[in-house]
Amino acid sequence: MTGLLATADDLPPSPALRAPSPTRGEEIFGHAFLSTNMTTSSRPLRFISCGSVDDGKSTLIGRLLFDSKSLMIDQIDTLSRARGAQTRAGELDLSLVTDGLEAEREQGITIDVAYRYFATPKRKFIIADAPGHEQYTRNMVTGASKSDVAVILIDVTKLDFSGDAVQLLPQTKRHSAIAGLLGIKHIVVAVNKMDAIDFDRAKFERVVAAFALIASSLQLAEFTAVPISALKGDGVVAHTTNTAWFEGSSLLETLEAIELDASSEGTSNAVGDNTSATHIAVQYVTRDAEDDHRRWIMGDVADASIQVGDSIRVFPSGAQALVTAINTPRGPASVAQVGEAVAIGLDRQVDVARGDWIIAERRSENANEVSGANRITATLAWLDNAPLTTGRRLLARHGTRWLPARVSKVTRRLDLQSAHWIDETESAGGTDVNANDIVEATIEFASALPITAYTTSAARGAIVLVDPGTHATAAAAMVR
Amino acid sequence: MTARDAFLSSEFRATDAHLNWLEDEAISILREVFGAFERPAILCSCGKDSLVVLHLAMKAAAPGKLPVPIVHIDTGHNFPEVIAFREALVARHGLKLIVGHLDDSIRRGTIRLAHPLESRNRHQTVTLLETIEANRFDAVVGGARRDEEKARAKERVFSHRDSFGQWQPRAQRPELWNLYNTQLAPNENFRVFPISNWTELDVWNYIARENIALPSIYYTHRREVVERNGLLVPVTDITPPKEDETVVSRDVRFRTVGDISCTCPVPSTAANAHDIVLETITATNSERGATRMDDRANDAAMERRKKEGYF
Repeated sequence: MTGLLATADDLPPSPALRAPSPTRGEEIFGHAFLSTNMTTSSRPLRFISCGSVDDGKSTLIGRLLFDSKSLMIDQIDTLSRARGAQTRAGELDLSLVTDGLEAEREQGITIDVAYRYFATPKRKFIIADAPGHEQYTRNMVTGASKSDVAVILIDVTKLDFSGDAVQLLPQTKRHSAIAGLLGIKHIVVAVNKMDAIDFDRAKFERVVAAFALIASSLQLAEFTAVPISALKGDGVVAHTTNTAWFEGSSLLETLEAIELDASSEGTSNAVGDNTSATHIAVQYVTRDAEDDHRRWIMGDVADASIQVGDSIRVFPSGAQALVTAINTPRGPASVAQVGEAVAIGLDRQVDVARGDWIIAERRSENANEVSGANRITATLAWLDNAPLTTGRRLLARHGTRWLPARVSKVTRRLDLQSAHWIDETESAGGTDVNANDIVEATIEFASALPITAYTTSAARGAIVLVDPGTHATAAAAMVR
Repeated sequence: MTARDAFLSSEFRATDAHLNWLEDEAISILREVFGAFERPAILCSCGKDSLVVLHLAMKAAAPGKLPVPIVHIDTGHNFPEVIAFREALVARHGLKLIVGHLDDSIRRGTIRLAHPLESRNRHQTVTLLETIEANRFDAVVGGARRDEEKARAKERVFSHRDSFGQWQPRAQRPELWNLYNTQLAPNENFRVFPISNWTELDVWNYIARENIALPSIYYTHRREVVERNGLLVPVTDITPPKEDETVVSRDVRFRTVGDISCTCPVPSTAANAHDIVLETITATNSERGATRMDDRANDAAMERRKKEGYF
């Protein structure tokens, strides 16, 4: 085993690991895990890492896993044995940590979204690692749909600092545009390879200014920029003398400090947004094991909390009832928060099945929202290798309901190079919508849905389109 | 204060929000299975991960009854403690149990062993696929986690399998939000992994919090073992010591439960789930690396087995 540990010790020490302890366990108890107050009081933070292999994305993830001690000795050993492992001067190639499939390791590329897990004393993290090669949009849309935060990696060695203004690469615009479309509220810009430009503060600030222009044109939420060197470790877990001029937090500290709002906090103690009506897409209805006449309606609480005594309406039937009981995974409750997987009991028998919605009309001003729509405008990320055929019948999933749908018209197209929307003119009307294209389109459904804008509710504003012949997932749609 | 006391008094045991979030996600996935499929089943090896999934499935169905059978692929090389545990579990909860016997596949000639005491782990795939086909299951729930292994890190929660049960890593369906694409053609099926996002530590924290019963071999016990290639190999009828090996008696526990011929215990005095949480956060080897001879064979071993239809 000493041989394996020696491999790990060959790594350039990161700032947080200046005095390695003899064994990993002691190290954990020695300083890393007990030096701060251990709280895992929030749900895991999910972030997507955006960038290509060349930007050092895989190295960054390897660095986060390694420095947070989420890698085990045998995994490090596997890395050093892996075919194609190119070690520079005894350094372990951290980027190999994230290359999951044999085909990928041989070709030195990543094919598909991979999920990684690491924890610090303050928080647990789930990384969606989306590869940056072909199919990038498809993979990033997939990873971003489940992420709270986008970490956008910028490789400073690829930028031209000779002119007045720094031009960021098209891929940075693309990553930012997709993060914005998927409604990611927290953007962290990791300005990487700072070691290659001597940790030049002025250059870092010019990159930040250039990103601010993109963020503004895409109407992105606020962003935080951090100078780092994923390879050397500066700024990732902690800042070093190299980045002492930087007043902000390290990348990891920034991620640890991000506060999720109540509506996305899942099962936190935070009270849901009570300005909107509760919606539950019905997943399953079951009979009570003890009482054959009692039925329980199951699904995830969306948009606002639900409580015993709420009056509900079933969509689409319109049947009404009162909530008499709520079961959460933690047991019976008088109230359940957004994100909780609940079973609810009603005061009377109503006809309800998978695919329906339960809508709590505690707030009367929202009663008119329930009428539903069967024709909407949406941003469409086309994912299927077969191009979109306007007017062709597709299968749509909204909530727990499957129904026929068609894309009737494509109105605009997002130019991912410039991050600008361009009108589809009549003359260009014949342009194909291909895999990885993002367009604005009109979608028609076979029946009305309780749909709303994606920015208002991801639960009701997101739709997946599926090819009825191949069953391939054809598109992700976000209602505008 | 010792490190152990500090740990036990700390909140690192991931109570509350973190485990609740994982629990809600898993239960929601299981309700998709109950609601969206005609003939689902839960694969249960009586290993800790599948017992966590079974516990979650019973919660997902509550206050109703578990609406699906559990399936055990029996290699015939079982730890007797595990089979005894299975029978007690089925009786206690009134579960419907379907057992796929590897020995039946051998009798049918669909599995041919190179030699009688060969590891049966790899051959499980054949019996699993035969059991799925015989029962016409359209969704089979398993306890795999993405943190276990590199190929698993890329697998979907709803993992589509063709009529040969094969996983096609390069043709996976994008999985967006929680809007799972559950569409199937005849004879295809899904493998569904509700605890994809759990780590080994999460699993042990949850077992401790929920007081989930496990087979006794998960906790410390005296066992005769030999040391082989840095692993402790249990001495059984199926895995006898080699001529030059010395049999020693050690305090050990198993970190995974699989076929006897390829599952090794680790030295441990952990007597309960809390002790194991403590051991887990100080562990230096990943779960499979420490205990599974089959996965050590090759870095891509899991990827290849999954393509063949393995879980």
